[in-house]
Amino acid sequence: MERLLLRAIAQACCNEMTNKKLGPLAITAIAVVFLAAIPLLFVIYNSLQLDASQWAGLWSKRLPELLWNTLALALLVAIGCFILGVSAAWWIARYEFPGREIAAWLMILPLTIPTYVFAHIYTSILEDDGWLGRFWHFIMGANTATPDIYNIGGATLVLSLAGFSYVFLMARSALSHSTRTLEEAARIQGANKLQVFFQINLPLLRPAIAAGLAVAVLHVLSDFGAVSMLQYQTFTLSIYLQMSGRFDYQGAAGLSMVLVLLSLTFLVTERFFRAQQRYYSARQARRHIPQKTSTTVTVLIWFWLGLITLFAFILPLAWMLHWSLDAWLQDAIDREFWTYTTNSITVAILAATAAVICAFPIAFYNARKRSMGSSLILQLSSVGFVLPGPVIALGIISFILAQLPVLYGGMTALILALVVRFLPLAVQSQDATLQQLTPSIEQAGRNLGAGPLENLWLVILPMIRSGMATAWVLVFIDALKELPATLILRPTGFDTLPVRIWIEASEEMLELAAPAALMLVVGTLPIIWVLMKNNQKT
Amino acid sequence: MNMRQFFAVTLSLIGSNLAHAADTLTVFSGRSDKFVKPVIEHFTQETGIQVQLHSGKSTGLLNKLRTEGKRTQADLFLSNDAGTLQKGSDLGLFAILPDSALEPIPSNYAAKDKTWVGLSARARVLVVNSKSKSAKAVQSVFDLAKPEFKNKLAITNSTNESYIAGATVYMLAAGKKRTQAWLEGMKSNVDGKVFDKHSKIVKAVASGKKSIGLVNHYYVYRHLAKHPKDPVSVLIPDQGKDGMGVAWNVAGIAISKHSKKKQLAQKLVEYLVSEQGQQQFAEENREYPTRKGVAASAEVPAAGSYKVADIPMYQLGTQRNATIDLLEAVGMP
Repeated sequence: MERLLLRAIAQACCNEMTNKKLGPLAITAIAVVFLAAIPLLFVIYNSLQLDASQWAGLWSKRLPELLWNTLALALLVAIGCFILGVSAAWWIARYEFPGREIAAWLMILPLTIPTYVFAHIYTSILEDDGWLGRFWHFIMGANTATPDIYNIGGATLVLSLAGFSYVFLMARSALSHSTRTLEEAARIQGANKLQVFFQINLPLLRPAIAAGLAVAVLHVLSDFGAVSMLQYQTFTLSIYLQMSGRFDYQGAAGLSMVLVLLSLTFLVTERFFRAQQRYYSARQARRHIPQKTSTTVTVLIWFWLGLITLFAFILPLAWMLHWSLDAWLQDAIDREFWTYTTNSITVAILAATAAVICAFPIAFYNARKRSMGSSLILQLSSVGFVLPGPVIALGIISFILAQLPVLYGGMTALILALVVRFLPLAVQSQDATLQQLTPSIEQAGRNLGAGPLENLWLVILPMIRSGMATAWVLVFIDALKELPATLILRPTGFDTLPVRIWIEASEEMLELAAPAALMLVVGTLPIIWVLMKNNQKT
Repeated sequence: MNMRQFFAVTLSLIGSNLAHAADTLTVFSGRSDKFVKPVIEHFTQETGIQVQLHSGKSTGLLNKLRTEGKRTQADLFLSNDAGTLQKGSDLGLFAILPDSALEPIPSNYAAKDKTWVGLSARARVLVVNSKSKSAKAVQSVFDLAKPEFKNKLAITNSTNESYIAGATVYMLAAGKKRTQAWLEGMKSNVDGKVFDKHSKIVKAVASGKKSIGLVNHYYVYRHLAKHPKDPVSVLIPDQGKDGMGVAWNVAGIAISKHSKKKQLAQKLVEYLVSEQGQQQFAEENREYPTRKGVAASAEVPAAGSYKVADIPMYQLGTQRNATIDLLEAVGMP
């Protein structure tokens, strides 16, 4: 199976090379994809060592349950993110109500909280003496047990709260760019508001929602923190246990292989649906003007958005503040804490910058060529997102030790792994803006006498700057929160905030993790601000 | 300059290779910083040797050590679990320790091939709610499988290091058949609801939500230090003439085979097995020093005052996969 895959890749690359002359752009794109595919090659290599009986063992013992668990969770989280993200985006994009700007902010802030912190906070506030636990007993009576979240329901809750912002971001941007023409035509034909929503808006929004859901679902497939804290067996958790509990790399690789195929199927399907859904609108079409709301509607909107914010941000933040204050009073925040903070920020900045630079040739090449080969390159660059962090880390270590041992020991391995992991985020957002870049603009630049590089610098880059900024911010946020690969690849003695959170949490001194978690939120705020500004401009 | 050199140069500009001072030891530590730092600071004061801690999860760090091979920067490997240490020995990752480091510690708490040495021990005990008569009447960990503890039993999930180590001891001391029946009984008692943290088990037993739980001893004392009035106490199981004794597990240390500072690393190990080092290493976490004659914290029952299962610690590693297989076969949550 893997050989077929490899052959297909090789063939596509060859076609690409023989059809047209291979420009520097294509070479760079292929080089980046090779980099991104290192962990995949590691997985393929290791899973090839499994013989048929071992595969059969994996299949009969594990796979059916894991497949079911993982797919069910992905589906439920997709539904959760859809409900939260689309409802919030709709109201914020289409209605003018007091506090609209703040509301948009509040919907994005949950991105600053890592899933493992979410999971931890919810398990602790739902205990009998936790905030929600006590509230529960107050409402339901002392004898009713608090809801148990060590199951698919809990994992769905946590991952939906942590991921709906991606859907919100994409849906909102699509909604505020959409035009009124179609909707008005439908209304004139006698459709009511609901019919318009389901028959006009939703189909129009489909590409944006699909993109947002894809990001959210891919986060679910590769999530390690929340599922390990909630002990919900998905592929990623199982791969980790196979690797670290049994020191069985081949079994882990076999499971990873299945996960990769699963995710690629999902990605290709998503792309396929998106490719069929291209809508162009005339420049002159009238934009939407957000509708002013009555007091009742305002109250209703704020009730819903407030509810989302309460669970997705305010409660976790209050928990962090409470325990950070406690730590501060006990003098538990030492000088090293600031080192962890600067370490985290340094790593995230390097990773985001490197990822944006690496993503550009891939997205640009695809925007230019739109061929099978270019889109295959784009798909393959997504592979990092679907592999569990620990697998990526081991793949990178093995590669560096075998090929470039001089690099080992510094930060290169870590940055490389983070780039591989988050490259898809950067590629996706750059691809989105590059699609708006029509060939005529480039041709105009060339006609006016600009050379290829000058054209790139003066025409193309300024036009896609906002896409690049979004890409940078998305990678920065994820890199700042990244745990499993960082845990394995950081230079010796180099601790980041997530690493500290994890160490304190695994020693069951969870409250000590609060200042680090709070710092992650605070550190991300200015970056989110950039993202919001950027979104407003486009 | 060929392509590979070019890449190497550019990439190394991005990642500065952290310079390692010649007299700094790097320890891959799977034990909480909070428990390691005090003793390390004393060591540095006495010897002038700096120690850098690279903390994480024992198994993850061992994987790293294994993959890095001779490129590793680790001089020593510290773990809370004898099973993980032995796994490292089996993988051939450690150097042989000098007799000066092994002599003070009973051979039961060290590797057979002298590649690691145990530093402090934790006991697998029962935590009981003082108001529960049935819990207080328990004699053996195997009683946890009795139907009377349906929904009253608190255990961790089956991926927990200490849980696996405990089950390994029971397998070796009481046989696979009995252990399997025990796991099946517990599985039906907990009905899918297990805990992710030992501290939460103690809390649940203290609040009366559960009446009995299986934990490492120090979690109970840690809880009692914060809430001295809570109705929880430690019950030491499997005593008496026919009892198999309590399961112990040790935290220990090994020297990396590829360390370039083995002399310095030996000094650290020697310090940790010295009387002073032993006291400091075990005290903060209320564990038992492995060296004879060094007493544990006064709160915990003295070592030697109760029977401990007679299983050499290295077997926690050699039997580890068999235990995981059994746990999976039973389908423990």
